[in-house]
Amino acid sequence: MTDRRQWLRRNQATLLAYAMAIALFLVTSAFAHGFATWNHTRVLLVQACFIGIVGLGQTFVILGGGVDLSVPWMLNATATLLTLWCHGQAANLVWVLPVLLAMAVIVGLVNGLGVTLLGVSPIIMTLGVNGVLQGALLLITNGGQSPTAPHAIQQLATGNVAGIPIALLVWAAVALIAWLLLSKMSLGRQLYATGTNARVAYLSGVRVGRVTVLSYVISALASALAGVLLAGYVGEAYLGMGDVYLFSSVAAVVIGGASILGGRGHYVGTVAGALILTLLAALLPILNLNPAALQVVYGFAILLTVGLASLRLGGT
Amino acid sequence: MSVLRITDLRKRYGAVHALDGASLEARSGEVHALLGENGAGKSTLIKILSGAVRHDGGSIALDDRELRIRSPRDAVRAGIGTAFQELSLIPDLTVAQNLFFGREPLGRLRGVRRGRLEQEAAALLEQLGIERIAATALVRTLPIAQRQLVEIAKAAARRPRVLILDEATSALSPAEGTWLLELARRTAREGAIVIFISHRLAEIRDVADRMTVFRAGVDVGAGAIDQIDDDEAVRLMLGRRVERLYPPRREAVGEEVVLAARGLTLGTRLAGVDLDLRRGEILGVGGLQGQGQRELFNALAGATPARGRIELEGREIHPTSPRRALAEGIALVPEDRQREGLLLDLSIRDNIALPVIERISRAGFVDARAETRMVAEVAERLQITAGSWAREAGSLSGGNQQKVVLAKTLVSGARVLLLYDATRGVDVGTKSEIFTLLRELAGSGMATLFYSTDLQELTNVCDRVAVMADGRIGGILAGPQLTEENVLRLSVGGSLPPVAAEAVR
Repeated sequence: MTDRRQWLRRNQATLLAYAMAIALFLVTSAFAHGFATWNHTRVLLVQACFIGIVGLGQTFVILGGGVDLSVPWMLNATATLLTLWCHGQAANLVWVLPVLLAMAVIVGLVNGLGVTLLGVSPIIMTLGVNGVLQGALLLITNGGQSPTAPHAIQQLATGNVAGIPIALLVWAAVALIAWLLLSKMSLGRQLYATGTNARVAYLSGVRVGRVTVLSYVISALASALAGVLLAGYVGEAYLGMGDVYLFSSVAAVVIGGASILGGRGHYVGTVAGALILTLLAALLPILNLNPAALQVVYGFAILLTVGLASLRLGGT
Repeated sequence: MSVLRITDLRKRYGAVHALDGASLEARSGEVHALLGENGAGKSTLIKILSGAVRHDGGSIALDDRELRIRSPRDAVRAGIGTAFQELSLIPDLTVAQNLFFGREPLGRLRGVRRGRLEQEAAALLEQLGIERIAATALVRTLPIAQRQLVEIAKAAARRPRVLILDEATSALSPAEGTWLLELARRTAREGAIVIFISHRLAEIRDVADRMTVFRAGVDVGAGAIDQIDDDEAVRLMLGRRVERLYPPRREAVGEEVVLAARGLTLGTRLAGVDLDLRRGEILGVGGLQGQGQRELFNALAGATPARGRIELEGREIHPTSPRRALAEGIALVPEDRQREGLLLDLSIRDNIALPVIERISRAGFVDARAETRMVAEVAERLQITAGSWAREAGSLSGGNQQKVVLAKTLVSGARVLLLYDATRGVDVGTKSEIFTLLRELAGSGMATLFYSTDLQELTNVCDRVAVMADGRIGGILAGPQLTEENVLRLSVGGSLPPVAAEAVR
């Protein structure tokens, strides 16, 4: 079997996801005027970047054989504390951002160490951390409104450079880092090895625990970044703003061709997954569908891609 | 009087004929010993009799009535009780619950009458003479030997017409072993048929009335116990096999000790192992299964650290993880290549490069060119036939998969190679290639520890063979003493006829 055929077979699910994304875009454009303009496409891409960035972290964790269910309230905590501590003053960012960064690292470490050292299952561990974050945030805010986000953050999320949204540039930058980590660096190889078979990786000299912990730290950092951007995009933070990203981040990874069991997939696929989910969300108002139908559509999208993927595997 | 008659039994697993027309006849009132090397088909026969697997051909008849055993339930109904070597107890239930599993005394509303269950269990344990085991104890909390006793009690409790004891003594202390032999004799006296499987010839002489010997899935001899002496039994087990596929040994092995172990201890599995592995030598490790060989290899490779002292070229080392062992130049080819050796879904290249991926990276970035060069080099040396290094390791044949595992150890720059059952499931051609490679590596100074369950391999591939028994090195064979018979003798606790075994150092 040639290398090219190997490559095609290995990346079939990802290629399929991109084909689906393009097809969705073209079909929707045919029905809705103004859909395919750069102005509208730009808006869609910025919307996709939130799923895309949370999905980046989720990709690393899932590739390593885990799953991170603490993303919604990690995102929410970052957004809320950012607006709360800044009081609309950009000057406060000097200390707020480093503190939020440290917080993300700590949450990632707690998740990772709980899974590796204590042997708690990833679902339980991250679900627990999610609950702790949610409760802590409710205590801190008393459930009340928080101030608007500082102007600089709003600018970051909604501004443009040479007609390109800054948020998109941020996404592109972290996507590049993710690609380098997964495809070019030893960490990526060790992550795939760990997710494929942790026992083999361990016996081959991989520091399985360290690699796993790192994947959770990356996930927490990604959620924090998405939280900062989303606070700026919306202009404020509100409790529950991260909830949709639990399902959509996992869905983006799976639709992008990754195995939920770990070891198989790539961030390149997750990007396609994020685009598909965003396009589906944009399609609903055009079809005059109730927003609640979105969950149904998302569900079918996952079943469809997973179904296609298993057909493909069944054939080999 | 009843007779168990097994005729021309056949069972195939893929291309392997585990049973190839095996027959056995045992009568009530007798303890019938079943002998054979590992892989001779004994386990398969027991699995069939106990309903765990179905046979492909042949017949099983009890009192001239054909038995149809399609499930463990059928086996129990037919009156066959089995005490398995790999226990069939449920760890999180109590001894009583295990003993009466599936036939608990029921009250009204079909609820289990717990008090009565425990009373009956206690009575049974007392009747069998093992009342020191509490009926209310969780099986999980019992030491392995007591679990074995419960397993035997469970099989005997139903008063089966055929009682199968599968290497039941291997986990027992001498006193418990005596108890079991007595139980086997008593059960036979009371009119049952007892099938007794053991590797220990002395024990078999002690308890059995008749014996049947299996080899390669066929019965090769049967008779009254005093008609077949030990030499004849060993000869029957081994058969006369052709010797090819083994490269010639080197004339002399150096004296320099590369890896030395002193007093390696791990729970009850390793009871103080002393071992010297010399430069350029292939040192075999033999013995019955489960005598501590796996623990020894895992301890040296850092996979399951043990207490004791390990020296590499005279310097004490602490291989507390496979990573540290690899860094010292000790590489393991693990037991199960599918689960421990290979990432089946990943490419050949990814697999081979994994142990050294950090070494061939600069600032975290993998040097792809160096990687490709390295993989191509080692793959060519091992003649891995794959077509492309991007191919998934899982798509390769068993032999080529094992070569990829070997390639991993070679790129890691190992000076000490630990091969645990590396030839299992490998075709003859590849086996021969692997042996030739090992000899070649030894020629360039590699120190190799080689575990195999195949006596022929041990005696033909290795310079010396250390036979393990009960977590210790029972003896080391070399030179003219290194014969299959002698390895087997030491394994079953016998003595060597011509000259005494080399003293354990």
